[in-house]
Amino acid sequence: MADVDAARRALEEVLGPTEVLSDPLALAVYARDASMLEGECALVAFPREVDHIVACVRVAAEHGLPIVPRGAGTGLAGGATPVGDALVVVTTKMDRIVEVRPDDRLAWVEPGVVTLDLVTAVEPHHLTFAPDPSSRQSSTIGGNVATNAGGPHCLASGTTANHVLALDLVLPDGTVERLGSEGPSAPGYDLRAAVVGSEGTLGIVAAACVRLTPIPPAVRTMILDFTDIEDCAATVSGIIASGVVPAAIELMDRPIVEAVERFVHAGYPVDAAAVLIVEVDGTEAATRAQAEAVERVAREHDVRTIRVASDAEDRDRLWRGRRNALGAVGRIAPHYTLHDVVVPRTRLAEALSAIAEIARRHDLPVTCNAHAGDGNLHPHLHFDVRQAGALERALAAGAEIVRLAVDLGGTISGEHGIGLEKRGALPLVWTDEDLAAQACVRSAFDPDQHMNPHKVLPDGARCGELPALGAVAATSAVSRPEDAWS
Amino acid sequence: MELIHPHAAADVLETVRDANASALRLLVVGGRHHADKGNACEVDGELWTTQLDRLVAYEPAEMIVVVEAGMRVGELGRILAEGEQEWPSDAPADSTVGGVIAADVQSPRRLRVGRVADSVLQAQVVTGDGRLVTSGARTVKNATGYDLHRVLAGSLGTLGVLVQVALRVRPLPKARRTLHAPGPIGTGEALLGAVPGPAGIVATPGEVEVRLEGWLEEVEEQTAAARSVVPELDEVDEDAFPSHRPWDEAPVVAEASVRPSALGAMALAAGERWGALLGVGLLWAGLEGADGQLEALRARASDLGGIAPVIRGAGGLGDSPVPARAVQERLKAAFDPNGVLAPGRFWGGI
Repeated sequence: MADVDAARRALEEVLGPTEVLSDPLALAVYARDASMLEGECALVAFPREVDHIVACVRVAAEHGLPIVPRGAGTGLAGGATPVGDALVVVTTKMDRIVEVRPDDRLAWVEPGVVTLDLVTAVEPHHLTFAPDPSSRQSSTIGGNVATNAGGPHCLASGTTANHVLALDLVLPDGTVERLGSEGPSAPGYDLRAAVVGSEGTLGIVAAACVRLTPIPPAVRTMILDFTDIEDCAATVSGIIASGVVPAAIELMDRPIVEAVERFVHAGYPVDAAAVLIVEVDGTEAATRAQAEAVERVAREHDVRTIRVASDAEDRDRLWRGRRNALGAVGRIAPHYTLHDVVVPRTRLAEALSAIAEIARRHDLPVTCNAHAGDGNLHPHLHFDVRQAGALERALAAGAEIVRLAVDLGGTISGEHGIGLEKRGALPLVWTDEDLAAQACVRSAFDPDQHMNPHKVLPDGARCGELPALGAVAATSAVSRPEDAWS
Repeated sequence: MELIHPHAAADVLETVRDANASALRLLVVGGRHHADKGNACEVDGELWTTQLDRLVAYEPAEMIVVVEAGMRVGELGRILAEGEQEWPSDAPADSTVGGVIAADVQSPRRLRVGRVADSVLQAQVVTGDGRLVTSGARTVKNATGYDLHRVLAGSLGTLGVLVQVALRVRPLPKARRTLHAPGPIGTGEALLGAVPGPAGIVATPGEVEVRLEGWLEEVEEQTAAARSVVPELDEVDEDAFPSHRPWDEAPVVAEASVRPSALGAMALAAGERWGALLGVGLLWAGLEGADGQLEALRARASDLGGIAPVIRGAGGLGDSPVPARAVQERLKAAFDPNGVLAPGRFWGGI
């Protein structure tokens, strides 16, 4: 049985009394992240240095509290939603950019540094940090590492995994290890690769060494609109097949364009069936050549209009619409569920029309945007939770969308992760043996399962034996979205 | 020494299970080009993956190819060239895809094309205890569970036998050119600062080669940028990069890995036959043998916070401590509990 009071006293001694919270308001605030899921926690701690994180890990282990690491809480899959008498370790007060080293094109940062703050800080060196989740104004580097965050510009530059050189990780036993290195390779198995995207289940990041990339000398942002969504999707795969890999290809369907336009006035054509934002960058010549190739392919697929952003301000305006889509669609109905699935990019059109059909069958408005170049779709299902059965319909439709992605040869999450939300869906893509292998990775780091329990894998998954997936242990009052998959 | 040539994943599974039953230690072998990377270890048999060489799926518009792990790099290159794409490992044509991944072979074009291991989107592997396991997905983006497939990259066949992989591929560049400039490493560093988006810059004693790839107009633009800092450049439209590899003929080749800005200091301990991959932090050094020269190289790498494993010839990986050793050992124990896959071959004698 967890001894919460003893744990609180022990933590207050190391972190100071103001940095450990257990009042009802704090416990309510930190009982959830940006997902629909609500959990519960016993204590909230705000470490300010690596030794504080170590203390959190040791004290929690000693007093039997599960640990839930958390950054800004912008995660959408419940990865930071605590379960049980958890100690939530919030890293947002560790927000120093420790060192920027332009010669090595790297920076050392604490986990609580906000993504956009890092981008701004390295800009004077003509460098940038490429992963750009839509939440980058508030998401933290530690959270990005935990979820292997993506964003519109993953298409050419990859996700967080491709931009983390090294991590100082506090392991579940309280030891601190540097995984990876400032150089291109490091001794041992690449544990850093396992930690990126592990949703806080393998340890807590105390510092990250991130790769910085030169800001390309030229960039061109175009908005293309189509009267037929199939032409729009065919343009996406046509661009890639023609040998051009743009920095970003974003797709927005008509309902989302309408919502965004009302909210942001980005200058999007509201009467189009679908809109693409295509950004190409590189040298001036490369940018010109890519833009011409994109235009050629789009014209072959009956694009209606192509507009090129006239200057930096115009470009910002085009992107502002896309980045604020989440806020804009919130006006359609009081609630929505946001999904994150991946399909092969050649099946984008098929996926979009099937999603529209699923939503229609469940009588839910749907809006859809996509990191189309990656085949990563974000449908939003809109509803009012006060209407009887509305939430159930949304969950059922969401489960169908996930199954659809798998049936089309895709996968169940592109960038939001599994968290609590999708762990029940893993058997759609993995066998029992695959899940057991996953559990082996987890046990290698955390043999006693202290760290963010019940996340990422189904509770039955065990290393070295076939997981009993049917038997999900009762853990708390947290809602169980995985029931939707069964 | 028993030599085993499985033809399908099911054969690999049977071989590994038999090895567990009869306490047979196996070395996984692909094209043998990178087999020297690893510590000396005793094995009873070799499992050759070269018969596992089928193309499973290729759709150029997906920029993904799925192949069995024993496919030769040259054959994969021919297949991808038909879709005007490439898998930019730059490994020898008769090395295997699985071997290149397991040995974490470094492409001299890494600056532009990234780490080869990062191109692995999905892997099917037979673990050391005889389980057929898949990790990752056939999509360019995926946030589903732990990236076991990325951990397998560089694992030197000590956790499992790669049987099939899905790889992210790239469009073939429309134009390529190598610039040759006389001068020291500093000249290369000046070029790195001046040329936007080079594919690679290799400095050797007295010379610098800059590889440019992309659209023809882009390559012209990059050439002009290079000339702004080094007017006396030779332009060669050629295929091999780097064309000058002084380390290549040596009996022992070590691959030092340090932070990029430390390459100059690293080169001072590398003798006369070296090449430094600027902006990346790799240095290949040709040595006469695994002797004092190698020790000096490793001592320098270690001082600079790096490593210097041997990638050809004798000398092993070196004695750099592995981080989180307990985690590394538990990982090995979980996937290869009976020590069937080349025990002792990996870093730290794991």
